[in-house]
Amino acid sequence: MDILKNIEEAVVNGKFDDVKALTQQALDQQIPPSDILNKALIKGLERVGKLFECQEIFVPELLMAGMAMKEALTLLRPILEKSDIPPLGKLVIGTVEGDVHDIGKNIVSMIFAGSGFQVTDLGIDVSAQKFVDTVEKEKPDVLALSCLYTPTRLAMNDVMKLLKERNLRNRVKVIVGGAPIDQSYADMIGADGFAPDPPSGVRKVMGWLGK
Amino acid sequence: MKEDKIFQDRRARINGLRAKNERMTCRERALMGVKHQEPDRIPIDNWMVPEIQKKTMEYFGCDSYDELLGFLGVDFRNNYGPSYVGQSFKKHPDGTVEDLWGVKRKTVVYGKGTAHQGSYSEVAESPLEKLQTLEEIKKYDHWASPDWWDYSKVKADCMVYHPQYCVINVGDRLDRTSQLKPMMYLRGIQQIFLDMVMNPAIVEYIRDRIIEYFVAYNHRVFKAVEGEIDIFMMGDDIGGQTGPMLSLDMWRKYFKKAFKTYIDIAHQYGIPVMYHSCGDVKHFIPDLIECGLDILQSLQPKATNMDIKKLKEEFGKDITFQGGMDIQHVLPLGKPEDVKGMVKYALDSAKKGGGYIICTAHNIQIDTPIENVVALFEAYHEYGKY
Repeated sequence: MDILKNIEEAVVNGKFDDVKALTQQALDQQIPPSDILNKALIKGLERVGKLFECQEIFVPELLMAGMAMKEALTLLRPILEKSDIPPLGKLVIGTVEGDVHDIGKNIVSMIFAGSGFQVTDLGIDVSAQKFVDTVEKEKPDVLALSCLYTPTRLAMNDVMKLLKERNLRNRVKVIVGGAPIDQSYADMIGADGFAPDPPSGVRKVMGWLGK
Repeated sequence: MKEDKIFQDRRARINGLRAKNERMTCRERALMGVKHQEPDRIPIDNWMVPEIQKKTMEYFGCDSYDELLGFLGVDFRNNYGPSYVGQSFKKHPDGTVEDLWGVKRKTVVYGKGTAHQGSYSEVAESPLEKLQTLEEIKKYDHWASPDWWDYSKVKADCMVYHPQYCVINVGDRLDRTSQLKPMMYLRGIQQIFLDMVMNPAIVEYIRDRIIEYFVAYNHRVFKAVEGEIDIFMMGDDIGGQTGPMLSLDMWRKYFKKAFKTYIDIAHQYGIPVMYHSCGDVKHFIPDLIECGLDILQSLQPKATNMDIKKLKEEFGKDITFQGGMDIQHVLPLGKPEDVKGMVKYALDSAKKGGGYIICTAHNIQIDTPIENVVALFEAYHEYGKY
């Protein structure tokens, strides 16, 4: 099972060419894709998350790990979809209206995808209408809202209001994040939670879903 | 200045406190502060989005922003540098306009149709983002040139404020002297971060073209002003809300050398240097000091490790701080007493011995109630006396 350890190490070190090659090698050796995901990739990602949280690695390295996961998933996803293994959960994510900043949102999106979630990324400057329409259509477990500017966080509240108006609020958990967001702001707008960084966001959502 | 009773009443508290506290010109006060001396009261700087400037002017009955700054006791005046005389910025049919670096920008409106509507000029497309190789990047032909500016009026622009005020050469928000920011604009934030790990040669090439421009440009600005700039400001965001964006090793590898070069140039002309970065920058501070930085700007209090009391204790003797007032939570969401408490805490922690300029950690944002803006400035004067 050394290959799984090697994949894990390659994720931690952000070597995305190696991650992809080793994942292919593991598939060729008939290692079950769910094992590659859970016992190598996600394990690596969890280690990366811890290193990021204790400030041993920073944005470039976190991005590299996220990209490495993305590469591996291009190989694994088609196989996982064909099998009966369901994703850990469904997540819809985007940067709210009036805000075009997406580096944080992109990392969160990659890390969730890498952790086994099915992610629909709506991009930047996303209207409340679009978020809510997507929640209605795709029925995600979690809606994740991001922003960078202080005034654009007001648009998060618009999403919350529209979810209520359309009677969808109790059908989806809402997590909010971005520089001007903290727990008190999440509480104020009635979101289910806040996460200061991608790894803690994944942990929080996993907790909600009982994973 | 409008003299109706309502405005006179609104101005009375700040006017009264200032009359009691002030014994010198703004410039004398500001420069004493920078030199770690105690002037008559804390030096005050001000950053506000235009919408808040307008709201505050209306509240106090001021007819211009300069008049407002004069009334509030703001000691600094911004100089935006020389006038641009290069080719007009190319406009595209999709509404985007190219900036100094050939980066397409668009105006993004937030809070549409609400009382908090405002806008920012944002990057619409980074021209180098999709290029794969250094050779392709080398073919890019829109690097900024110091020849695109008319330097003849900068001195007169600064002199308008002398001898009363302390003049900061701030540049423009989008084109302020920096390294990483134009790299992010040109290459895209995500790609340049990946390049830092994977493509050092690309990072170094783009960076060097940017440095080359700012080195030549700043020499010309400083020569042209003949001593009329009091402080030179540069800026690069290297801090995030919950930690630095990059490791100290990576900053040293790519950015430390030119950071020092920029400072050395200003110092050659006898100008102290202020450096802006949002976010948690604590792990960089010893290196910033070693490079000769005079003033660290922002001190975003809600970012990790940026508590002003601790920073003052640890680094206060070696560097001046500017900022520290929270625009993310206390100003937009707090009550006037919270604002006053924040001002008092910062002044109790950092005022002693000079070396602190009080200011918000960034522009006061559009969602800040006017009562909190008033409380902020009243508290500056209430607690700011030495």
